[in-house]
This record gives sequence, structure tokens and C-alpha cells, in this order.
Amino acid sequence: MKIIVCMKQVPVQDSLLKITDDNTWVHEDELNWEINESDNYAMEAALRLKEEHGGEVVLLSMGPDRVKESIKQGLAKGVERALHINNEDFTTRDPFINAKLLAAAIKQESPDLVLTGLQADDTGFGQTGPILAEYLGLPHTSIVMEIEKSNGGIKVKRELEGGWFQSVELPLPALLSIQSGSNQLRYATIKGIMMAKKKEIKSLTLADLGLAEDEVDDSNSSLNFNRIFIPEKTKKAEIFEGDPKEIAAKLADKLKNEAKVF
Amino acid sequence: MPNNEKEISSFMKCLFAGSIEREMVFPHPQMDKEEAESLKLILESLRQFAADNIDAGEIDRNQEIPAEVIAGLAELGLLGMSIPETYGGYGFSATAYNRVFEEIAGIDASIATTFGGHQSIGLKALLLFGTEEQKKRFLPKLASGEWLAGFALTEPGAGSDAACIKTTAVKDEGSGDYILNGNKIWITNGGIAHYFTVFAKTMVGDAEKISAFAVTRDMEGFASGRKEEKLGIRGSSTTELTFDNVRIPAENLIGPLGKGFKVAMEVLNSGRLGLAAGCIGGIKRLTEMSVDYAKNRKQFNTPIAKFEMIEEKISDMIIDTYVLESMVYLTTALIDRGDIDYSVESAICKVYASEAVWRTASEAMQIAGGIGYSPEYPYERALRDARINLIFEGTNEVLRSFIALAGMQEHGEYLKEVGKALQSPLSQLGVLTDFAFSRIRRTVATERLEDVDAGLRQEVGKFEEYARELNIAVEKVLTKHKKDIINQGFILERLANMAIDLYAMAAVISRLDTALKEYGKEKVSRELQIGKAFCEIAWRRIRRNRRQVEHNSDPLHKSIAENAYESEGYDFDLIS
Ligand SMILES: Cc1cc2nc3c(=O)[nH]c(=O)nc-3n(C[C@H](O)[C@H](O)[C@H](O)COP(=O)(O)OP(=O)(O)OC[C@H]3O[C@@H](n4cnc5c(N)ncnc54)[C@H](O)[C@@H]3O)c2cc1C
Repeated sequence: MKIIVCMKQVPVQDSLLKITDDNTWVHEDELNWEINESDNYAMEAALRLKEEHGGEVVLLSMGPDRVKESIKQGLAKGVERALHINNEDFTTRDPFINAKLLAAAIKQESPDLVLTGLQADDTGFGQTGPILAEYLGLPHTSIVMEIEKSNGGIKVKRELEGGWFQSVELPLPALLSIQSGSNQLRYATIKGIMMAKKKEIKSLTLADLGLAEDEVDDSNSSLNFNRIFIPEKTKKAEIFEGDPKEIAAKLADKLKNEAKVF
Repeated sequence: MPNNEKEISSFMKCLFAGSIEREMVFPHPQMDKEEAESLKLILESLRQFAADNIDAGEIDRNQEIPAEVIAGLAELGLLGMSIPETYGGYGFSATAYNRVFEEIAGIDASIATTFGGHQSIGLKALLLFGTEEQKKRFLPKLASGEWLAGFALTEPGAGSDAACIKTTAVKDEGSGDYILNGNKIWITNGGIAHYFTVFAKTMVGDAEKISAFAVTRDMEGFASGRKEEKLGIRGSSTTELTFDNVRIPAENLIGPLGKGFKVAMEVLNSGRLGLAAGCIGGIKRLTEMSVDYAKNRKQFNTPIAKFEMIEEKISDMIIDTYVLESMVYLTTALIDRGDIDYSVESAICKVYASEAVWRTASEAMQIAGGIGYSPEYPYERALRDARINLIFEGTNEVLRSFIALAGMQEHGEYLKEVGKALQSPLSQLGVLTDFAFSRIRRTVATERLEDVDAGLRQEVGKFEEYARELNIAVEKVLTKHKKDIINQGFILERLANMAIDLYAMAAVISRLDTALKEYGKEKVSRELQIGKAFCEIAWRRIRRNRRQVEHNSDPLHKSIAENAYESEGYDFDLIS
């Protein structure tokens, strides 16, 4: 089975973000970067499938030069090779455009299975996976916890709300978006790290993907970043009066109908 | 002045003799790019493993490192990092090994102790002195972590004076085997290691001399005692070992017969750097905790971080870390260059680092105030864990003697009548490195530190000035005390302290100069602040120590101590 895993490099969780002067993005130079959490789980799921059924895992990542560091972590964990869409010269934040780029790279590989993480920890759109599936014309399902090979296809366990799960069968090729926490992640061993040095990271340019710059840069985006801001603090306290029974009833009502916590 | 044509061995030994071997410390070493890249990935992997699997508080409370944690480190390949690939390891440099050790110590001191007991000292004699056959027989199992290793030197009657061990290995003329009898105490990994490097007295001709042996737990007559209860590093296994007619095949002799003391000292020379690197890890962790706490704790309506007495503590932590990184990784690079005597330098790193981590743990607790004293927070554990570093792998007192005496060796040889005396009593101290130093040729001997960035002119000036002062002080004390210098502890301590600060200054100046040349003043400005602040502290301290070599109240202190021995303590009473 040939599996492609899409991996995004995101700022380390709990990074202190500084907003740029024009209020449309954050300063990226001072940040530390890591593999997006659910992408790590996608990679883990792919490696496990490969170990069980044979085949190859290819990592696909888009970003500037720095993403090579994360790619190397993947190679050290056992991924066979990597494709790097180097966008040092253009930026895209629009999931539509990102998916278009990824799709162009994936088409050249004709994989049996494409795995993405459920969503990116930075922008949190959760759209790239489904859009990518549409571009590729593949069946797709998301919030996937477990993958099993079945006759001619795969059977997956999806997480629904309220502790419910759903079992879905899909033909191959297919695209799945993987939920965090679905597996125990492995650690790169020194052996893997040494072996990774010999593995290929293929750099892909727009020309390699058959795309023109004006098709992919932000000017072509349907998404505009008008203002980025740190959530503003608001203080709102309401004090209930009455006897405990009344207060409890009011509180329950508020929690249910206003705060909608249950 | 010593003869400039002579070949001299180490940066500090040269410095004691009055010359600055610039080439040994400039430029500040940079790690091989490819190795650095692997190292980054290893550190990242280790951090993730630790975050998921290691709970330092629990290890301390249970006095036990979970077996899965050691197995996990083995699985990552860390237990064989420094072992060459031919023997199942990965052949990383001393610099990379120590950087990983630093990281582990920042995670948990008990694990670091176990890790160091295994790889810094336990199996080190095999790497340095083992035969091909011995390496093939033992190293693959040690590299994979199937076996852990330990280093067994200390005995009830032989701690600092390691040369006077009583364990014996007597040759059985029939079989050629050695029969080992005796006991060792305080042995790290004593309860969990399978392989031990054991030091014992052997007969070489008519003389009793120490030899090193490879001993395994499965040998009949080998036993380890119960796990010692300890103040800190409580998760590490420390036990007694007893040998009751343990039969060791002759092919388990490590290094030449009778050269075991040299084996032990060489192992400890490199082991001490690991210890020092570990202290850096501890200090970095404590600094993070202290910064975080100080910024968030408010008193008098102000974050305590803003009080200058707190800022002083934080800046001391940063300075200590910077100085230590500069020294320790300069010294590991000397190991990696090979053929350089770094024994004095590694002792200097050990002393500075162990005292810095202790100071830091104490100040971190102070910053944390009351909660610092509670076992619900990590400060008191850090303090307990830090304390051992001043004691093991050579106590700081013994290492100060060593720094001063070994430093003066070259000088002592020059002052002929002292030379001989300087050597033999040293072995009584258990600190003599009795090997023929692999000397590097002194081509250009100079007393100046040339070609350093102009922005460091003042620091360089002070370094040169006090390097000269060290040399003058050495001449004076050797002329005055001659062979009795070995009994002048007050003086030796001051010379050692001068040497420690001078090496630290050299390392810091080298690092700053290298950074300035590569990145320019703008980018290095924060580092310059740190380095300059340290040099200012250091030269003033050196100046004080230098003055006190001649002007001191040592006789008073000696007399006070001796009176206390006489009267069995403090025998004055205000209510008499
Ligand atoms: C937790 C732990 C783990 C250890 N692990 C190992 C191990 O794995 N392998 C091993 O072989 N050993 C190990 N040791 C032993 C350790 O190295 C010794 O404890 C240490 O060398 C000191 O020896 P000692 O305890 O006999 O103290 P002593 O040598 O009796 O020293 C007592 C005091 O006298 C001072 N002193 C001694 N001589 C002089 C002198 N000439 N001048 C000035 N002061 C002096 C010392 O500095 C010290 O302050 C371990 C010890 C501990 C506590």
C-alpha cells in the first residue's frame, strides 16, 4: 500500500504570538516550529499500516525551508521519502489554494491512501483534508481513530460526539483525516535518525506541479485576513438571588440555554 | 621561566607555567554540521519521550526509575551513543554525548546518574583501554541496553584516597585466572548493572599495584547489597558490591597489569565532564522555573521579578549557564580533537558546575519562598539532587588540590628539586594522573592572547594580567614551600580558584570572540553583556585570591580548627 501523509509545520503550542504592525499576521521569525499534532497521528497511522501490510509511506509537506526540520523527524520515524513543496517565494493561507497545491503533488504519485491531520493547530480551519479529497476525486471521511484493511478497501472507526463512534467502509484509494490521540506515537530512534540521512527529500516547485504563481498566491485567495487580534478580555458576572432551590434552577437554565454547556 | 622549547600538554598546565596556548581554545569549537543535525533530532525525540513517560517527582518518591523508562532510553539508542558503530553503538563525539547528557539531567537527575554510571564511567574503560576481543564481547550488549554498566572503585577505607583500595585480585597460577576478594561501596547501578569495571590490587613482580577488571553479575561469588537510602538522586541504584572468591578469566584484565589507577583516572577525567554537562541541564531547568515563578508571583503589588535582589539571582543563573556552556563544550571539543591532556580542565568544569548547580538550586528555592520548601513543588528535590555533585567523581576539595598540583607539575619539573616530590605524594591523594601526557608541541609560546576582537580588549587585558599573576604566585609558593606544597591546602585552594576563573575567562572570551567574528557586534550584544559581567566578577575574585596567597589569616584559621579538634567542638559559652 502506498500512503501519502500530508504534514504541516505549525508554531510550537503555547508560543507567544506577536502580531505584525499591519495587524494581518503574526511575526514568524521568532517562533519555534513543530509538526502539527494531528498530522503526527496521521503519520503514525500510516507507519502502522505499512508495518502490517507492507508498502511505502511518503510524507508531503508545504512550507518554506524550515519545514525540512519537521520532514527529517518524519523520515527518522520511518517514513520512506518526502516531497517538499517549497513556498519560500509565495505564501498561501487559503485552504482552497493549499489543497490545490497538495493535490497537484499527490496526483503525480497515485497513492492508495492519503492521510491528513484533522485540522492545523495554527489556523484551525479543518478544511484542507475535505477540499483535497474533492480535488483528487477521492472518497473521504474525517475524525478517524482506527483504520483496518478490509476486502478491497478499508474499514475505519470515526469519533462522533458524546462518546459515540461510527464504523465506515471505503473503497481505495481514499482520503482520511486523522484525529489526535488515536494511537501511541513513536519516538525517532538514533538508528532511525542515522538512516534518515540517506532518504530523499524531493523539492517541488510550482513548475513541477504545473501551476502558475498567480493561481496560488494570496491575491487569488477567496480568504482575506482583515484583522488579527488577541481575544479581548471581558468581565461579566451575574449574581443570582433567592433561595438555593431557585438559584440552582436559574443556574441550570442559564448553563443550558445561554452558555449551552449541556 | 620555563624553557620555551619544551613540549607541553594542556592549556591550563601551560597557563600555570606562564604561557597562553591560544590555539587550544580559539576559535570556540563548533560541532560538525551533520552531527549537529542528528543531535537536534535526538534531543527532540528525547524531549518527547520524557514529556510522555518521565515523572521526576514520582521517581523521587518511589526511589525507583520505572524499568520501562530505562528500556525506552535503550530503545531510542541513547545507551550506546558513545560506543563506536562496529560494536553496536553510534559513535557520537564527546560533545554530542555530553549535550544529550545535559538534556537528560535537566529532565531527571536520578536517570542522569544511572545513564552516566553506565556510559560516562561504567563502560568507559572498555572504550579507552579494552582489547578488540573485550570490546566485541561486552560492548554490543552494553550499547543495546541489554546490560547496564557500573564503575566500582570506592571502598570503605578508600574514597578520596582511591589508591589505597584493599580488594585483591590474586593470580591462580594453575588456571591463569584472577581470584577477586573484597568489597566496594556506593556503587552507582550496583543493583541493576550486569557489567562492572572493578579495580583491585594485584601483584606486579614484588609490588602491589592496581589493575582493572571486567566483572559480570553472573560470576560466582559476586553479590550486590540492598539499595542505599539517599538524600537525592533517590531513583538511582547505589549499592555495595561484594566479591567472594570471584574467578575472573585473565582475558578480563582491562589495560596493562598494574595500570589500573591510570585507567580509573582517565575514566574519571572524561566522566567529570559528563557530570558538569549534567549540571548545566539542571541549571537551565531551574532558571526556567525561577523566571516563570518570579514573573507571576506578586508581592507589594509588583511581580517579584522586578525586585533587584531577585534580578541579581536570575542574572547569576544566566551567567553561570553561559560560562559553563563555554567551558564544558570547549573541553569536550578538546577530547574530540584527541591527544590532548584535558585532566585539569575537566576537573575545573566539574568543580565550577557542581557549585553552580547547588547555588542555583538554593537561589531557585529562595525565589520560590515558602512553596520552595514543600515537596509538592520541584525545588526541594532539585536542591537534594544537586548536592551529590560536589561529592562524587572526586570531591571538590580533592579536585581543587588536583587542579593546583597537576597544574604546577610542569612548573615543578622546572624547579628540579620539587619535581620529584610533587609526583609521589600526589598519588597518595589519589589524584595523580600518572600517565605520560601526550604532549603537543609548543611552537609559538606567548604570554599574550592575540587577535581577539577589540570589543574584548579589557577582558583580554585582565586575562593576560592575571595569567601572569598565577604564574608568579606559583613560582613564589613553590620556592617557599618546595615539596611541602602538597600540605598547603589554603594556598592550593586559592591557586585552584584562580585557575578555575582563568579557564572560565578564556572560554568565555573565546566564545564571544568567535561569535563576534561570525555574527558581528549587533547580534552578540546580549552575550557580550553576560560575558563582560562574568569577566568583571572573575578578575576581581582572582585578584583577591592572588593577594591572599601572601596576605592572609591562614595561621589563625588553622589554629582555630586545631583548637576545636582539641576541645571537641565549640567550647565557649556566653552563660558561664
Ligand atoms: C550517591 C553516590 C554514588 C556514588 N557512585 C560511585 C560509583 O559509581 N563508583 C565509585 O567508585 N564510587 C562512587 N561513589 C563514591 C564517591 O566517589 C566517594 O564517596 C567520594 O569519592 C568521596 O569518598 P568518601 O566518601 O570516602 O569521602 P572521603 O574521601 O572520606 O572524604 C571526606 C571529606 O574529606 C575531604 N578530603 C579527603 N581527602 C582530602 C584532601 N587530601 N584534602 C582536602 N580534603 C580532603 C573530602 O573532600 C571530603 O570532604 C558514590 C558516592 C555516592 C554518595
